[in-house]
Amino acid sequence: MEEDTVKLISAEGFEFVIDKKAAMVSQTIRNMFTSPGNFSETRLGEVTFPEISTPILEKICQYFYWHLQFARCAIPCILSPICQRLRPQTFMFICIYSSRENLCLSFYFRKESEFHIEPEITLELMMAANYLHT
Amino acid sequence: MEEGGLVRRCIEAAAESAKSVEKWRRQRRTLERLPTQLADALFRLLHHRRLLYPSLLEIFQYCLEEVDFHGENCIDAEWMAYLGGFRYLRALNLAGCRGINNSVLWSITGMVSLKDLDISRCSKITDAGIEHILSISNLERLCISETRVTSKGIIRLSSLVNLRSLDLGGLPVTDQAIDSLKVLVQLEYLDLWGSEITNEGSLLFTRFPRLAHLNIAWTEVNCLPNLPSLIHLNMSNCSIHSIFQGHGPVKPSLSELLVHGATFADVDQAFSYLNIDHLSVLDLSSSAISDFNFLVRMRSLERLDLSSSLMTDYLITPVASTAFKLRDLNLSNTKITTQSMCILAGKVPNLEKLSLSESMIDDTSLQYLTLMPSLRTIDLSKTGIQGCTYAEGDRLAKIWSLPVLQNLDSLEILNLEGTRVRDDSLHPLGLLKGLKHLYLKSDFLSDVSFHTMSSLPDLRVLGFQGAVLTNNGLLSFRPPERLQVLDLRGCWLLSKDGISSFCGAFPQIKVKHESVQMLHLDQSQKLGSSKLKPDLTQCEPLGGHHFTDERIKYSREELMELTSSPPSDVLAGSLSLLPVALKKADDRPEA
Repeated sequence: MEEDTVKLISAEGFEFVIDKKAAMVSQTIRNMFTSPGNFSETRLGEVTFPEISTPILEKICQYFYWHLQFARCAIPCILSPICQRLRPQTFMFICIYSSRENLCLSFYFRKESEFHIEPEITLELMMAANYLHT
Repeated sequence: MEEGGLVRRCIEAAAESAKSVEKWRRQRRTLERLPTQLADALFRLLHHRRLLYPSLLEIFQYCLEEVDFHGENCIDAEWMAYLGGFRYLRALNLAGCRGINNSVLWSITGMVSLKDLDISRCSKITDAGIEHILSISNLERLCISETRVTSKGIIRLSSLVNLRSLDLGGLPVTDQAIDSLKVLVQLEYLDLWGSEITNEGSLLFTRFPRLAHLNIAWTEVNCLPNLPSLIHLNMSNCSIHSIFQGHGPVKPSLSELLVHGATFADVDQAFSYLNIDHLSVLDLSSSAISDFNFLVRMRSLERLDLSSSLMTDYLITPVASTAFKLRDLNLSNTKITTQSMCILAGKVPNLEKLSLSESMIDDTSLQYLTLMPSLRTIDLSKTGIQGCTYAEGDRLAKIWSLPVLQNLDSLEILNLEGTRVRDDSLHPLGLLKGLKHLYLKSDFLSDVSFHTMSSLPDLRVLGFQGAVLTNNGLLSFRPPERLQVLDLRGCWLLSKDGISSFCGAFPQIKVKHESVQMLHLDQSQKLGSSKLKPDLTQCEPLGGHHFTDERIKYSREELMELTSSPPSDVLAGSLSLLPVALKKADDRPEA
């Protein structure tokens, strides 16, 4: 599975290794990896962001995974009418389903649970997200 | 893939409450590196949520280009002092801000980046304020309509040579003032409605070679000289003798002409100098014209407004002959009948919007409307439409007239307010599947027709005013999926509880009702600690009248007693015969 990951490097030199699918949430990163040409990013599988600090980059990686969980998956949408009748607090439930030959264990949050952003980081996160086109 | 999802969430989180603003506000003094569109989105959201205060403006000093504070009465010297520090401010809108006076304008003197300034309706601005504006040398658009500037101040405006657009509406501009403004050769837009210019002044308009848009409504001008570059002309409420009479090889290719309420000495002569090949918008409403033959030559008309004019069935033939390209026709408040629709049918293949409100049409006109294939918007309010016609010879056999509208594939907006339709005649409306906006207002509609509206899949806006709609009827209503706005003003049987439970069940629908405005007023007062106070005059119930449900005053037993009492005109003479409940009426607390 190592080929399916990319490395994002922050201004301080911290390296975040995440799934390629998660990184593709950002339009900028997706363009970097899908454009033709022999770029060093594509070869080495790593991108440096000298202007994005470590806590911000960490939050962005969290957003990538959150986005993958809720913005595209169809199954939470089917289950959401059931979710709406249950308690209003955020909870996690485990859903087991089989898809062809695999038996997958997936974690789903309730559809209402929003991606929480602390007010202190909103400005920097906004600028980084704008740069990354997410 | 959600475009810009995280950006949007960040802006939302930053503008969530006054506390969140406090948390990030102290991090840095100014935001130099914030891109303009992000700064703009954040600023607008903060403004919308009333979270702005003067010192917060300092943060946006280097990243905002446009500031729109129109209508905000709290803008004063403190706000303007911070706005004066904006480095890249290009457009500033302070229209209708009552706190703006001459000294406050000092803060923006010498602002090199400012190109667009709007201080209309700021009644404290006088000639002294103009002195400050003169130092903003790059100004291209200036609106000072309805301020207290006089002719002397306007003459001083001639030093702003970069002006392209000048709005001097409602100011006492004299011919002499226009003469001194002749150096503004870049002027493209000039608005002089309600000023004191006369025919001599209008001759001076030829000095502006690029003038494209001219408004001289409500002035004494009778004759307009030849202005080759003119595209839009507004001479409403003038008495017109001639337009564009004069020398010049090129006749202006006027595209829009608005002469609402104007009087003509001789219509044909007035229009004879006009090059009408390009005329696409013509507004003749409220004019006293009795002969419309001059319309025959106008082949490019797209919008024609004849409301409140003297149009009748006998005068409509010229309209029919030019109407090939017509897209918007307004015949409201005229004396036209079905015969006009018969004349127009088939001649208006491109007609999209038709307004027949307050005219004398009836249900027989509806079948002619089906011969206008592109119709999207139909306004039939306040007409004699009943929704049914009667078979010849047999007054009891009803034929429903609204189903014929099914043949109009593009029909999206239908207005039947104030007509005589009833529940049974509205039933066929459920067949109009493409309908997006439907407006109904009648004292006789009830739950039955309300529930018919569930079957309209595309409905976005539903107006159902003044009807006999019960709480049960509202709560058992299944709204169409895409419904966004539900206007229930005047439905007097609905209670605050019924409406709030409906709003709770369907939060995406905006409900308009007298009790809903009271709910919003309560909520906004709870958030009242914000610095920009909402303008409370906007929260008054629309229509201005309060209604009380008189039944609340009486208990059930008293109401039963009242039903069996004789009518009040019999009792008027003898107060002793009044039922006990009515005698006590003055002691009751107001509902």
